[in-house]
Amino acid sequence: MMAGIIDLILSIIFYPPIYQLVLVGLTGALVVVIFIIWFERKATARVQRRLGPYHISPRLAGLPQLVADLIRYAFQEVIIPKTVDKELFVLAPIVATVLSILPIAVVPLTSNPAYWPIPMDYSMLVALALTTVSPIFLIVAGWASNNKFSIIGGVREAFVITAYELIAIMSILSASAAVLSFNLVDIVEAQRIWYILLNPIAFLAAFLAVLMATSGFPFEIPESENEVVAGPFTEYSGLLYGLNMGAAYMKRFAFSILIALVFLGGWSPFTPGEGILSGYLIPSLIVVAKATILMMIFSLTRSIYGRFRLDQALEGAWRLVFPMAVLGFGLALLEAYLGVM
Amino acid sequence: MSVWVYGEQKSELGLEGTITRKLEEDLYEVFIGPQHPGSGHMRIIIRIDGDIIVEADPDMGYVHRTMEKLSEGREWIKNVPLFERMAIHDACNVTVSYVMALERILGIEPPPRAKYLRTLLCEINRIAAHLYGFGIFGVFIGHSTMYMWSFADREVMVELAEKLTGARLTHSYPIPGGARRDMPQDFPQAARKAVRYFRRRLDEYRKIFLDNPVTRKRLEGVGIIPKKIAAELGVVGPVARASGIKYDARLAEPYDAYDEVEFEVPVYEEGDALARAWVKFEEIKQSLRIIEQAVDWLEKHPREAPIHERFWAKAPPLWKKVFEAEGRVKLLPLMANLKLPPGRAMARSETARGEIVYYVESDGKTTPYRVRIVSPSARNAIVFKYIAPGYKVMDLPTIYGSIDYFPPEADR
Repeated sequence: MMAGIIDLILSIIFYPPIYQLVLVGLTGALVVVIFIIWFERKATARVQRRLGPYHISPRLAGLPQLVADLIRYAFQEVIIPKTVDKELFVLAPIVATVLSILPIAVVPLTSNPAYWPIPMDYSMLVALALTTVSPIFLIVAGWASNNKFSIIGGVREAFVITAYELIAIMSILSASAAVLSFNLVDIVEAQRIWYILLNPIAFLAAFLAVLMATSGFPFEIPESENEVVAGPFTEYSGLLYGLNMGAAYMKRFAFSILIALVFLGGWSPFTPGEGILSGYLIPSLIVVAKATILMMIFSLTRSIYGRFRLDQALEGAWRLVFPMAVLGFGLALLEAYLGVM
Repeated sequence: MSVWVYGEQKSELGLEGTITRKLEEDLYEVFIGPQHPGSGHMRIIIRIDGDIIVEADPDMGYVHRTMEKLSEGREWIKNVPLFERMAIHDACNVTVSYVMALERILGIEPPPRAKYLRTLLCEINRIAAHLYGFGIFGVFIGHSTMYMWSFADREVMVELAEKLTGARLTHSYPIPGGARRDMPQDFPQAARKAVRYFRRRLDEYRKIFLDNPVTRKRLEGVGIIPKKIAAELGVVGPVARASGIKYDARLAEPYDAYDEVEFEVPVYEEGDALARAWVKFEEIKQSLRIIEQAVDWLEKHPREAPIHERFWAKAPPLWKKVFEAEGRVKLLPLMANLKLPPGRAMARSETARGEIVYYVESDGKTTPYRVRIVSPSARNAIVFKYIAPGYKVMDLPTIYGSIDYFPPEADR
């Protein structure tokens, strides 16, 4: 009886989607997000000549400051105003955060079938579909807050979603068109030359779409503090606010992993072998490293650009980036026809 | 739209005060401020239809400090530190015209050296205030680099002012009949170094902010004030000059050393937010020119007490001894109980945000009978009401930042 329960628990823990979600998704994302926030602060500070709190451990380059911030968010009082819709108000950021890292549970981080979380035949479609689930909960958070600024922020979020979602899906799917497969492992293995070099237009469209999806500058519109305070998160405080902020970075991480696989050759210089070390750990570390570098590039836009107006961002997305994504898709079809990949 | 008071017709109640209006259907009313990251010390009530502002109602007065009334209970000289509190980063510009009004009542002219010293500080203040405005403008449109840069570089000008006056912000520098003290010996080198530094930095500002494609997209064609409307609304300062009105108090009625130094007044025709940013940018360049000329003049001419001889003659012997030995001058004791002859005078000066006008009336006592101030921000606030409607909600910070509205100055 006891052994049966332990077996059940172990089988749940070692069920591939679960351990990938926990190992790479939660732990990995947390580490990467902390690193990225640190990098973003450092890079922005260098550009903007900010003197940060440099008394906190100069030897570690101020890294404990982030841990302190994390602790502050974790233990701050969570204020739930009387006027909000309580259940949705509490649930929305939690669900949004969880859903935003869910795509990681279905992507392959190695070509060794023993460590695939799910059968890989349609993994591209499943991953893309899962990226589209979380934004709705930002709108829910704004709506449940019952605050004018939150609602305007939520509506802006909705506008932005309609603009970037199609672009992200089309530009990432162009790889499938080029390889004629929805299997992410096939797509990674097919990249003798990285797909970013074969189809830079699709990569650029995907890059901009991810920037829009995760409220990166110059598309930081739903949370634009000078009109809508903090957008959908105006009424949030403490851990729930931290989750909301973290969700954007988690989402960026999930997208970056997807782009690292599709455009940057995945585990490319390394050929995964047998055993957990060379079969899973090393290739997954390579993918995460590529995704991290991508995220570092994302975080540089903050110090260069202001934010677009909502209508300008939408116009740019529909008039410029969407045709770019279509063009990238066409290029992918052409490459498939010519048999480049 | 009928006028309602607490849900009832106004005429039935006969109340003239608190007017509320019933909102038209389909309009969304948003109260931006007074505790809002994008409002400053004021409240802007906007009614929006979709994403378009239909009405904007600036609600000012949150930092009203009864300055005009307070000034009636203070000695003449003590009002200088009081009026400085309108715009502490622009302290010399906002008080120099008050001091000029006092000089007109007294019937004296400050010596040329004092005039140049005051002009020097005025221009240092103008640059600092424009950088302050640029910083706020930057953060209003999400450009945090501009915000940090201009606030960091403002420090250069603030330190220059500290070297000249001894105070970083509230200098209380101009006094009736002259300036409070002379510049230190090593000031010209520091000033020239700062000017060189700024010439280099301004080019970088242009690259990252004014010529940034995202910023240009945000600013171009937003908050357009045509020349005729600008004249009708009575806006002043960079807002008027960006609309093609060549009006500057330094030109209209040259005070201090402005009729002797060479400078241009930049005028733009477009009248949009970008033009207003460019006006301020070009004004910084002109201010640098004036600082150089003023420093050259001050270095070339021998030191004299920067105060009218009528007051200097009554200075205690110690003051004169210190001046002869070290070239330093302190505030004269007689200033504390200065008595002005009965009379009235008006004076105006160009602050960073526009023209400020003082009307001063004296009845022969040690305190003013009446001081009336018309500050530039109060005149520019009207832009919110008449220019903001028709633009998007996200344009409101752009308009706010571009007119560089400063609530403490408007509210007095």
